[in-house]
Amino acid sequence: MTRDVAGIGLGLRYDLATELLERRPKSVAWVEIHPENYIDRGGRYQEMLELAREQWPVVTHGLSTCLGSVEPFDTSYLRELGAFLTNLAIPWHSEHLCLGGVDDRFFHDLLPLPFTAEAAQIASQRLTEVRDAIGVPLALENVSYYAPQGPDGLAEADFVVEVLESADAKLLLDVNNIYVNGRNFGFDPKAYIDKIPMERVVQIHVAGHFLRDDGLRIDTHGEPVPDDVYELLDYTLRKTGPVPVLLERDNNVPPLDELLSEVDELWTIYRNATGADDAR
Amino acid sequence: MLADHAKAMQRVCFGAEPSEADLELLGSRERWLVYRDLVRNRLNQVIRVALSRTRDAIGEDTFARAVDEWFSAGSPKTRYLRHIPGELAEFAIPIWQRTEAPWVADLAGYEITAWDIRHAPADPVPSSEFAFDRRPVLATAVRVLRLAYPVQTKPAPGAGYEPDPTILCLYRDRSHRPIPRKLNPLAADLLEAWRAADQTVAESIQRVAAAHHTEIGPEFVEKLSTLIADLIERGILLGGHSPP
Repeated sequence: MTRDVAGIGLGLRYDLATELLERRPKSVAWVEIHPENYIDRGGRYQEMLELAREQWPVVTHGLSTCLGSVEPFDTSYLRELGAFLTNLAIPWHSEHLCLGGVDDRFFHDLLPLPFTAEAAQIASQRLTEVRDAIGVPLALENVSYYAPQGPDGLAEADFVVEVLESADAKLLLDVNNIYVNGRNFGFDPKAYIDKIPMERVVQIHVAGHFLRDDGLRIDTHGEPVPDDVYELLDYTLRKTGPVPVLLERDNNVPPLDELLSEVDELWTIYRNATGADDAR
Repeated sequence: MLADHAKAMQRVCFGAEPSEADLELLGSRERWLVYRDLVRNRLNQVIRVALSRTRDAIGEDTFARAVDEWFSAGSPKTRYLRHIPGELAEFAIPIWQRTEAPWVADLAGYEITAWDIRHAPADPVPSSEFAFDRRPVLATAVRVLRLAYPVQTKPAPGAGYEPDPTILCLYRDRSHRPIPRKLNPLAADLLEAWRAADQTVAESIQRVAAAHHTEIGPEFVEKLSTLIADLIERGILLGGHSPP
């Protein structure tokens, strides 16, 4: 049976799992996993997932079924993914709106799609195909990018909306990615948020990013969430209402108490922005 | 065309030297070189963790050259980050066999087997207890490794290994760590027969003992009992399935 996902969640990552699973902090309302890290894998990862499921609802966020690739999908993987997700009884699954590979080879990174009609049409078609194959609701996530893909930064918002509308899809809205892109390409992140159809947003991601000496911001998930991203989250939640928010921290993982301080900050923003009364 | 862009991205990220034509097609030379670094660094990170002793043994430059050659030969075939070191090892070990000290290939093979053990799939569930008239069920994370050099031990700093043929069973313990256990040749063949699980335990024992010209007498049975008890205790032998 699907469990309710609400409030603030934390990404279940190997480097923080031991302490998280021992302490089971009440302020963490749910966890997110990457299926690729668990499918067909035993050992510590299997144990982590079993322990997490005893405590929290789980949501999944894929890394490799990128929606912008041009080759046919690996149908055997989609079957495997679908079986894994069905077993977890998740409320939705998400994948990135990006290019993850070519010629059956994988980048293991999220490379940007050009914001063209062709790319939007391909992504929309693939999203529908994945959703049908896995048998659970599917959301796409907007990504960060570092090389200009269109004449102006807000072209990305139009591109995302086109795919969403065309595929009648849900959105995992990553506010850190919008902030990073806004600073890297000189547009107002709030103007981007204003273009998003809020009724499609099922989940939000926040994270920290790395500021290089040359001013380029890289979406590392390896730094604390900066104040500007908290502010953009507040702005977004006032439009979406109480959509579940995930804190992503994948690199440079600090002691759990530092992450829980960020979780507490997110709860404060969440309560203030949405009036939700289920805050821990 | 998206397909042209995608192939240009692949060449920029994995080619020995990104071409100016590809960088121009993609539109921002400096930023696409950032992507090249990001992609390669992520893969390098997991490779360096999995093969840390091999890297120390052959040196940073030699190791990095093998990784670069592997990148140039084609980007990863696997969607699973945990399988990246295995793809690199498959490419690099034959090179190291030709160019490095004779024990380096054993060391890399040992490290990559330990890595595979750590990340192997979950164990099957046997339908019954281990018994001689049933097919054996083993843990998934078990490999038999035949080495010419004892690379499971750590040599003195700067020293290599002298030849000392060794057979190991590498398995995942209950704390999820890869553990080596020495085997004699007959025990190794038995374990491999049990991994194949295409005969009952009794049939495989008879076949392997015959191949080793070993009589199944009291001494053999005593040693076999000790081996089986040890493999069960370590979580290597899980139980049995009835013959089909």
